[in-house]
Amino acid sequence: MDFFLQQLTNGLAVGSIYALIALGYTMVYGVLKLINFAHGDLFAIGAYLGLTLLTAFGLTRFLGPLGVVIVLALMVMGLVAVVGAVLERVAYRPLRQAHRLSAVVSAMGASIFFQNALMLIYGARYKVYPHDILPKNVVSLLGVEVPLVRLLVLLTSVLMMVALYLFIQKTRIGTAIRAAAIDQRAAKLMGINVDRVIMIVFLIGPALGGAAGLMVGLYYGQINFTMGWMYGLKAFTAAILGGIGNIPGAMVGGLLLGVIEAMGAAYLSIAWKDAITFIVLIAILIVRPTGLLGERVAEKV
Amino acid sequence: MKKMLLLVLLIGLLTVGSALAADPIRIGLMAPLTGAWASEGQDMKQIVELLAEDLNAAGGINGRQVRVIIADDGGDPRTAALAAQRLSTQNILAVIGTYGSAVTEASQGIYDEAGIIQVANGSTAIRLTEKGNPYFLRTCPRDDEQGLVGFKALKDGGFKAIAILHDNSSYAKGLADETRALLQKDGANIVFFDALTPQQNDYTAILTRMRAANPDVVFFTGYYGEAGLLLRQKMEMNWTVPFIGGDATNNPDLVKIAGPTAAAGYRFLSPPVPQDLDTPEAKAFMASYRNKYNAEPGSVWAVLAGDGFRVITKAIEATDSTDRDKIVAYLKNEMQDFPGLTGEISFDEKGDRVGDLYRVYEVNAEGKFVMLP
Amino acid sequence: MKDYRPVVYAAFCVLLLLAPFFLNAYWVDVLNNVGLYAILGLSLNIILGHAGLFHMGHAAFYAMGAYTTAIINTTYQIPVLWLMPISGLVAGVLALVIARPIIHLRGDYLLIVTIGLVEITRIALVNNIFGITGGSNGIFGISRPEIFGFRIRRPEHFFFLIWGFAAVTVFLFHRLENSRFGRALNYLREDETAAEGSGINTAHYKLIAFVVGAVWAGMAGNIFAAKMTIIAPESFNFWESVILFMIVLLGGRGSIPGVILGAFLIAGLPELFRQFASARMLIFGAIMIAMMIFRTEGILPPRPRRYPAPASGGGEGAS
Repeated sequence: MDFFLQQLTNGLAVGSIYALIALGYTMVYGVLKLINFAHGDLFAIGAYLGLTLLTAFGLTRFLGPLGVVIVLALMVMGLVAVVGAVLERVAYRPLRQAHRLSAVVSAMGASIFFQNALMLIYGARYKVYPHDILPKNVVSLLGVEVPLVRLLVLLTSVLMMVALYLFIQKTRIGTAIRAAAIDQRAAKLMGINVDRVIMIVFLIGPALGGAAGLMVGLYYGQINFTMGWMYGLKAFTAAILGGIGNIPGAMVGGLLLGVIEAMGAAYLSIAWKDAITFIVLIAILIVRPTGLLGERVAEKV
Repeated sequence: MKKMLLLVLLIGLLTVGSALAADPIRIGLMAPLTGAWASEGQDMKQIVELLAEDLNAAGGINGRQVRVIIADDGGDPRTAALAAQRLSTQNILAVIGTYGSAVTEASQGIYDEAGIIQVANGSTAIRLTEKGNPYFLRTCPRDDEQGLVGFKALKDGGFKAIAILHDNSSYAKGLADETRALLQKDGANIVFFDALTPQQNDYTAILTRMRAANPDVVFFTGYYGEAGLLLRQKMEMNWTVPFIGGDATNNPDLVKIAGPTAAAGYRFLSPPVPQDLDTPEAKAFMASYRNKYNAEPGSVWAVLAGDGFRVITKAIEATDSTDRDKIVAYLKNEMQDFPGLTGEISFDEKGDRVGDLYRVYEVNAEGKFVMLP
Repeated sequence: MKDYRPVVYAAFCVLLLLAPFFLNAYWVDVLNNVGLYAILGLSLNIILGHAGLFHMGHAAFYAMGAYTTAIINTTYQIPVLWLMPISGLVAGVLALVIARPIIHLRGDYLLIVTIGLVEITRIALVNNIFGITGGSNGIFGISRPEIFGFRIRRPEHFFFLIWGFAAVTVFLFHRLENSRFGRALNYLREDETAAEGSGINTAHYKLIAFVVGAVWAGMAGNIFAAKMTIIAPESFNFWESVILFMIVLLGGRGSIPGVILGAFLIAGLPELFRQFASARMLIFGAIMIAMMIFRTEGILPPRPRRYPAPASGGGEGAS
């Protein structure tokens, strides 16, 4: 039982990061029906920017751990949001009237571009965050020892998800986003500035990705320029698993994906872990063709 | 229209490319400059370029300058075959590289047909030198040799229950398989044998599972990035089992990733790196490297590419010839205990590096690598 | 307006045919790669371009073909080219088995499943499934193909094999495109519900498209194995599928000249950029965005179907 609980917490910790990245994926998808393959690379940019800012300003000298993390998170989210908005303006907006797969190619191009830009700027070797920022305490939970940071990671993800959900459901802008997601033309007729809505989506989505990148950097310590590709794919999987375009779905999908991975490694095979995950995913989609929380509409592709 | 234009462009580029056959001695470097192994490839490039610069500044080889022609193999056999074709048309005498056995193998036949000497640096699969290919050599040891060293280290440690973890890369898998085979023949108890997926950051699920198998020691044959994370996450879960690693973990970044506390006591087997050698060659190289790049050299594989460059240029100098048969004959027969950046270098008739290369290193409490006697 | 296209195509064919006599081995090999990608792109075009199925796992079928050839050739020494139909068959049968339960998935859900497919395949190959794939070292020592006793070995020889096969592919797929089957595929791509309503068994047609594409990719895998003489899982990763996906979309979905042009761009451009060394992929990425922005439906999208004015009534029911 201990073993199971331990693996469950392992899975939830990984899953919460997938979920956070998946939120950005799903938001962009919800409004534009675009699979933003460059989203993972925005996440990687967040991780690298976090490291640069951390060392450049020497934040640790005059702020406590919590202060460092908050200040850093705000800066990283702001910068990555700008990168995301520029990406939308340059690579996606001209393609908005085109077939939706055209934008996918553009997104792939952007992904290649970002990945190689990171390599050229920061070098191909691993970059390492300093060690002494986050507390190293371990808490005991139901007889399982869990590092405090893992709980914080999970908590942060859940908080961000809830905040995003409330923002979308309760605010005026959120309502506009939902309207644009349902029907852009109708939204326009109702006086919603759809371009602005899309701009906002491309600020929030990448900001969340950037935050996740910073979190991975702070927590695992090690980042590299190809990480966006792997995490991006996992997050996309998570978003699909939950039902893409659906915010709670991204959260559920992310956490579930993390748990499936951990359980696959725990009880089946470690080397086959990713294959097991995909097999489970395919099985779920065969039973529920639009993901766990996806709407069952006769969607026209 | 566009297709025609492209073709004209292709032909144009080709004529420009082939017209450049000048006086300097041309040596190729095939390395994964992009893709998953880009960090290895970029290091290889840095080191070989640095050595070439230093060599040229010192007057070149018997007065002739050396030019390094670089081709990206992307860490993938298909791209490597293209890179090899390209280098073969560039009038090179020898080529250094590359990293990864399958990638090297895809290029072997092409160089062989073009009569270009190839000195591989990170291709440890046994079969590469078993084909009777006269112009192929390598500065890295073979899997079977490394496996033997791994086996000895585990046996000498007196461990009863052994866990072996690799990362499914051809190098790590080869080392893990060889070691396991030797251990099994010796009747050792292997309680865990599996592969992690590189670059996934979170290995707690694997560590938890491994812990449940209750090993006395974990032998990890993969890379420093994952080794660093494993050590760090192992400490976070208060697990104190000793870790032993292969030579792909011989990289100072390991300690940066794991943190000095988690890395302390970690041992690995590796050929010596120039940081640990007190030969004048190694010292000069280190000074020059630090001066130019303001960092420590990365993995031992990249340094082995540097050694590949050094043995080739040495052979050209000693034979004062660009005749490939003479050069290969010199490398295989006459070169004895050449002071390399990774210890002394000699080659056997097959083109494999000979000699007892391996040392055992331990990370001390300050996070420095210490060579054990 | 006069239609210049036949002239352009003819000029292209002549230039291509003459290329190996003027280019060195490297550029011929680049053309060989382009040719292989063109064949693969054309096979994916049936699935993605014509049937409109978001299939990002084509490398899986390519891998199955290559590995079938490699395993049988190295174990039983059967000549490589004889294995071409078997490679195609194995890939096709597997495609049939795999695609059956997933073919009804829509859009992005199918996309992730096919990504899963290629990842599962790659992981299986790396983990040396059934002990026959050689793990990450791959399979080596695949023999060179022979035609009537002539051993195909040099890039110039492969050039004619690959582009010959590409020519056959173009011919057959062109016929397929304009057949009743091809038109039915386009119909269900444009409006699946309507197609279903007019009596087209959509699942059936999609499945056939999937299998045809897979068979062809398997045969391309056969040539690839013969050309490389060594194959390793790394050559069939998810990225390879993405490249094929991009070839089809960049060139123009459903357009044969478009896909061939796409193969030239995606497989050829990184080679032209070799002089930029480490920055070559960066430039490549930027150019991909630029090309898509300027030609939003692909560079050479297919022309709308035209039919001669209905002289007689009736015709085929599926159109």
